[in-house]
Amino acid sequence: MSHTTLASPAQGAEPPPTTAVPPRTTTKASRRGRLAAALFSAPAVLLLALFLIFPFVSAVVLSLTNQRLSSPLPVEFTGLENYQRIFTDPEFWRSFGNNTLFAVIVVPVQTAAALALAVLVNRRLPLRLFFRTVYFLPTVTVMAVAAVVWKVLLLPDSGLVNGVLGTLSFGHLQPGWLSSTSWAMPAIVLTSVWQGVGFQMVIFLAGLQAIPASLYEAARVDGANAWQQFRHVTLPGLRNTLVFVINVTAIFAFRLFDQVYMMPQFPGGPTDSTRTMMLQLLQTGYTRRMIGQASAIAVVFFLFVLVVTLVQRRLGREERAVR
Amino acid sequence: MRKTIVVAACAALALTGSGCSGTGGAASAGSSCDGKIDGKRTISTFYHGGGAEKKTFLNVVKDFNASQDQVTVKVQSVPEGTYNDAVQAAAASDKLPDVLDFDGPNLYNYAWNGDLIPLQECLKDSTRKDLLPSIVEQGTYNDKLYGVGAFDSGIVLYAYKSALKKVGARIPTGTDNAWTAGEFTDILGKLQKAGYARPLDMHMWYGRQGEWFSYAFSPIVQSAGGDLINRDGYKTAAGALDKPEVVKAMKTFQSWYAQKYVDTEAQDDTPFLKRTSPIAWNGMWAYKNGYKKAAGDDLAVIPLPDFGTGSKTGMGSWQFGITRKAEDPDAAAAFLEYLLTKKSQLTMYQAVGAPPSTTTALKATDIYAAGGPMSLVTDSLNKAPKVAVPRPQTPAYPAITQAFSQAIDDISLGRDVSAALKKAVDTIDQDIKDNDGYPTQ
Repeated sequence: MSHTTLASPAQGAEPPPTTAVPPRTTTKASRRGRLAAALFSAPAVLLLALFLIFPFVSAVVLSLTNQRLSSPLPVEFTGLENYQRIFTDPEFWRSFGNNTLFAVIVVPVQTAAALALAVLVNRRLPLRLFFRTVYFLPTVTVMAVAAVVWKVLLLPDSGLVNGVLGTLSFGHLQPGWLSSTSWAMPAIVLTSVWQGVGFQMVIFLAGLQAIPASLYEAARVDGANAWQQFRHVTLPGLRNTLVFVINVTAIFAFRLFDQVYMMPQFPGGPTDSTRTMMLQLLQTGYTRRMIGQASAIAVVFFLFVLVVTLVQRRLGREERAVR
Repeated sequence: MRKTIVVAACAALALTGSGCSGTGGAASAGSSCDGKIDGKRTISTFYHGGGAEKKTFLNVVKDFNASQDQVTVKVQSVPEGTYNDAVQAAAASDKLPDVLDFDGPNLYNYAWNGDLIPLQECLKDSTRKDLLPSIVEQGTYNDKLYGVGAFDSGIVLYAYKSALKKVGARIPTGTDNAWTAGEFTDILGKLQKAGYARPLDMHMWYGRQGEWFSYAFSPIVQSAGGDLINRDGYKTAAGALDKPEVVKAMKTFQSWYAQKYVDTEAQDDTPFLKRTSPIAWNGMWAYKNGYKKAAGDDLAVIPLPDFGTGSKTGMGSWQFGITRKAEDPDAAAAFLEYLLTKKSQLTMYQAVGAPPSTTTALKATDIYAAGGPMSLVTDSLNKAPKVAVPRPQTPAYPAITQAFSQAIDDISLGRDVSAALKKAVDTIDQDIKDNDGYPTQ
């Protein structure tokens, strides 16, 4: 998981208050200022165009053709056929459903866990730094590595997880995690939360430290207990952070790929119970060699994530207005 | 405006290496062999294998590099599970190596794409005549030879004679008296009752991404009288893969999983080696890779069960071809010639335990020669395509193998057999239609 995409939502989470624009006067100085602005932004704009805008435009164009990965046949314009095929493909809807299910579980669980961890390590505990590092470590691990490690931990007979579960339940609860249609998704959720929670924890930690200590003092003077302090000082103070974290977690959740590719015996298995849109995209484009149709999936995926993000930001804004 | 967008898109595509006209000269023919190597050459090759197989291959390459001073071979390793994806991507971005190794049946797609060049002019007549007929058949597309295998292959059942005796099962000696599917299912049941919780290892752990599922389990389809595709014209899988006989055979296959005869959680060869699964459905490579050592004289090598039209088995293995990117195909051909020498063949045989692909080398092996313990494999290959069945020789193969593997996976996990096979048929037929029936180029 690359973290480069974080930059834009991070800045966007709290836009600077727009004050009244000063009346335009085309003086020499302002023209020079505009030139400087253009020059400074040029590298970023160029890179964005090269790596984000151009690929996206090409995906849109390709999605209207039958472009293949490699074939001697000529490329033909096929109109909306690729989209029609996607929307009538039960496999696509299955992966869409799995993505949604994953997001619905992971977003609240991971956000709550990250918040709990952040509050925990924000206290003046002995070895505080040590615990912060330990909780953050999985995030430093590459997802692919985490997936392989968890695959071993989740082995049905010799894995650590089932060893512990077996002892606790006297041998009654020992699921074949990755080979069972009902347990595969929970296994993926477990791995993902374990790997991702540290990152959100750090963001929450930064948010917690921005809450002035005087607010807690005032609350204590008013006789608020720990829960009341958390409910009425910490949570409101973290509102923007919370909105951002939920937003990013949701986007990551829809990009789910590494785990479902590496952990089950067959990517997306067993019987498609962990198939996701990203996997569908990869297999359509590479294994089935249909770049055109894969591009259509990419476009649909992009629009879907865009809508989810816009809706979330809308809800986030309203919360702020209440304050 | 629209034109600008298209131009921009093409520019962006060019950056990622694809391009907008077809697939960037994929169809342009490479140069051909003229019989002499021009100056000193360094050629590259992809290689899929790992472990002992790779080590031996690298040694053969080292020997080749040392044996003459004109050609130097450089090896690039590519993981086996997604090998075809990697090759397709390399072809699309024009980054193919000079020499390509590939799992046999993908040859037809690569040849159709124009990624490979014919080998007729490249190999010596004497070398070509020495190749096993099965190797020539699998390497030929559109009447031209495009690939040569370093070895052939076959699938058998390995079993402990003592375990079979315990349940009173007869031990078939050849494909003529193979177990029937019903008999085999019966034996599995008896073995389970005799205390073997999971008597059969189907080697599901070889991974569902590579060729194992198609290679190992299509003989069931063929033994039932069906096939992965209708080989008359290769235009549709309907009527071949979804035949009632195939559905019946696949239901039997499914019952082995439903009855928990198959060890589906195995992660390596332990179940057979430790005798917890006394029967293993495995390739010929297992004999030399531990099975003989573990079982000794108790090891029985048995043909696959007969689902109606006789016992069948797989054949074919990884092959080598020369790509259109080879600047001097003669340099690449020199390397292929070296791989086919008796010395290299026997070196590979020692490491992989596979039947060599030339008659000369095959005769010199101790286990595949007539009367040897693995002569069942040689016999089956000699009876190709009646017993050893080549995988479908069509450019649609990558789509076929993917659809069939998915069906096998679904069936083994308990999905409805007819629905799974129907889905595979639809996927295959759609692919053929999408490629205009793969017209001969």
